Amino acid sequence: MLNPSRRQQYLDLMAERGWDLLLFYGDGWRKDLFRCLVNVNFSGPQALALLSRGGEVRALVTDPWDVDPVGAAIGDKPVLCLRLADGLRTVLAAERHARVAINGLEQMEARFVRAVQEATAAVPVSATQDIEEIRRVKTAEEIEWIRQAARLADRGYEHFVKVCEPGMTEFELVAEVESFVKAHGAEDNFMLVASGGTEVTGMKPPTARRFQPGDCVTTELTPQINGYYAQICRTLVIGEPSAAQLQAFSIFAAAQQAAQTFLRPGVDISDVARVQNDVFRAHGYGEYTGPQYTRVRGHNLGLYPDELPHVLENVHYICKQDMVLIAHPNTYLPLSGYMVFGDTLLVTAEGCVPLNDTPRRLFHS
Amino acid sequence: MKRGFIGWDPRQLPRAALEARLEELQRTLAGLGVHALVAFSDVWRSNDVRYLSNYMPYWNRALTVIPRGEKPILLCALSPRVYPWIRSVTLHETILPSPQLIAQLVRLCAERGWSRVGVLDQEGLPYDLYRQLVAEKLDIVDVPRHRVRPQPTASEITMHRHAARLARAVLESEITALAVGRTDRELTGRLERALRRAGAEDLFVWVSAGHTPPVPACGTVVDAYSSVTLALEYCGHWVKLSRNVAGMTSPLPPDRSATVHLETLSRACGWEGIGETDDGGNGAVISLQVEIPADGKRLYYGDTCVREGGGVEIL
Repeated sequence: MLNPSRRQQYLDLMAERGWDLLLFYGDGWRKDLFRCLVNVNFSGPQALALLSRGGEVRALVTDPWDVDPVGAAIGDKPVLCLRLADGLRTVLAAERHARVAINGLEQMEARFVRAVQEATAAVPVSATQDIEEIRRVKTAEEIEWIRQAARLADRGYEHFVKVCEPGMTEFELVAEVESFVKAHGAEDNFMLVASGGTEVTGMKPPTARRFQPGDCVTTELTPQINGYYAQICRTLVIGEPSAAQLQAFSIFAAAQQAAQTFLRPGVDISDVARVQNDVFRAHGYGEYTGPQYTRVRGHNLGLYPDELPHVLENVHYICKQDMVLIAHPNTYLPLSGYMVFGDTLLVTAEGCVPLNDTPRRLFHS
Repeated sequence: MKRGFIGWDPRQLPRAALEARLEELQRTLAGLGVHALVAFSDVWRSNDVRYLSNYMPYWNRALTVIPRGEKPILLCALSPRVYPWIRSVTLHETILPSPQLIAQLVRLCAERGWSRVGVLDQEGLPYDLYRQLVAEKLDIVDVPRHRVRPQPTASEITMHRHAARLARAVLESEITALAVGRTDRELTGRLERALRRAGAEDLFVWVSAGHTPPVPACGTVVDAYSSVTLALEYCGHWVKLSRNVAGMTSPLPPDRSATVHLETLSRACGWEGIGETDDGGNGAVISLQVEIPADGKRLYYGDTCVREGGGVEIL
């Protein structure tokens, strides 16, 4: 549960930057900022790990039920503090004038940063971008967890197709899928849905809308295994798909395939977006590739389901081997309304491979 | 993550109840001499804005701005494509696209001629927003939470009570001898299905096999010493409770010798640990989870309560 290869990378970073202490701050939303060193799904409002230049790992937890699991992970009993600021003052009392960097500084409540600053008599610096860069390239062990998550995403979508029926509400469908992926090992699952026709312009949390014949039911399903997320995006039509829905799907499938064919180490992520958008442009739908109709054309995956870089034409990042990302040309089209399609992709030495094996088709109930 | 049924049923939470909160807040703002109040929210710290406008951030950060004498304004980075849905489940009519939250807030202040702005729990802001805000030429007034959200209102208690009843009914029907032999994952799946179909917005489940505190499911087989704790969010109102397969109970509050995990459910986050002397005002909604020693094992039992006088009322 302590990631030793990552710890060494963080120690190398500390040496390079001249940091004495590297803190990893996570809260209930951004647990990844903590779990990238101590991979424990903590229960409290916050948790924080401290890595010293000598490689020693200590931790602060804010929930008594986190003491045992975090202690088991780091091989030392963590400090329990109901108020994190108090705990920081205590553990940093001996670190006066230490050069402190924080992964997650931006997310940290200002009172916690103040506690660090007062204890060390120095302003901490952000390590978030440096750590993000390290996290982008996955280790073999991390890739295996993501493979498992992708397999569960496939099984989860299979269940989605099995239970989705006319008259069911969006939130009932989500309950069924959530139940399935949790019963089969998911720690968490990020999932958005939408249903309807050409009036639908995006996905959101599920509503009480009931599925009707002809609806497109879209989802991005993102189960988490041992901290790591994989995602699948598919569209299902209630009943037989219309000619317009089939035409729309063929555009989405071609766009996703273009990204998958193009993606390899050394390419600019901007071009991964461009090749997808070019398919829409070639069909006369270029205007639907902008922010009015879509958010991103994919994103990195890992301990957070929406890691950077985003796949956008105005984002430049050179892809590396062992990055894991999803290419999903999800957008609105007047043919079908909002439609989604995408698979989790592992960047290999020669190109990329999809980690999902769900059939690449427009599903129907 | 918040991916359940985020709705607003005015029969459960009448618009008048939300508007009464804002009316009270308007008096506070007038007393503070500020032009508006700003409240932060993200996926984990959502309780404050849910109280003010019923906004539930299923993703991303947002600022809810309550101007003096006006309806709340939402600044958020979510796509305008979801604004119709946001309007359908909140009091918000005005939503401003805000990829840069503080920049948008500063623009709004300039447009409206606001120079003195209250910030709900200023030091609770994420550090990047805090730094940006204090660098601006605004007179910022820190507004402590108790000035905005005093002890829970009757309408909040009613919602917590509804959530507690829902959670208790499902948990007690699942945590029986019939659960023995299932894995903790299967049990978690069954709870997810029942509670999300009943309208849960968010749900966390922890299981103890009797030798550790409750932890997220890890494939352990449920036995006679297993306990389950769940945290359920229903329409923005959290409850926590624990039951065990053995059916052991504890008085609430327990006697002084018991090991108790005490949390408040009335602050910004879903739950926050508190000490015996913290947050002790009448009316506070708290979670009381008790560890019960039995045959060398640890069983767990607990509920969500309202503090009343020296004791508690179980919701």
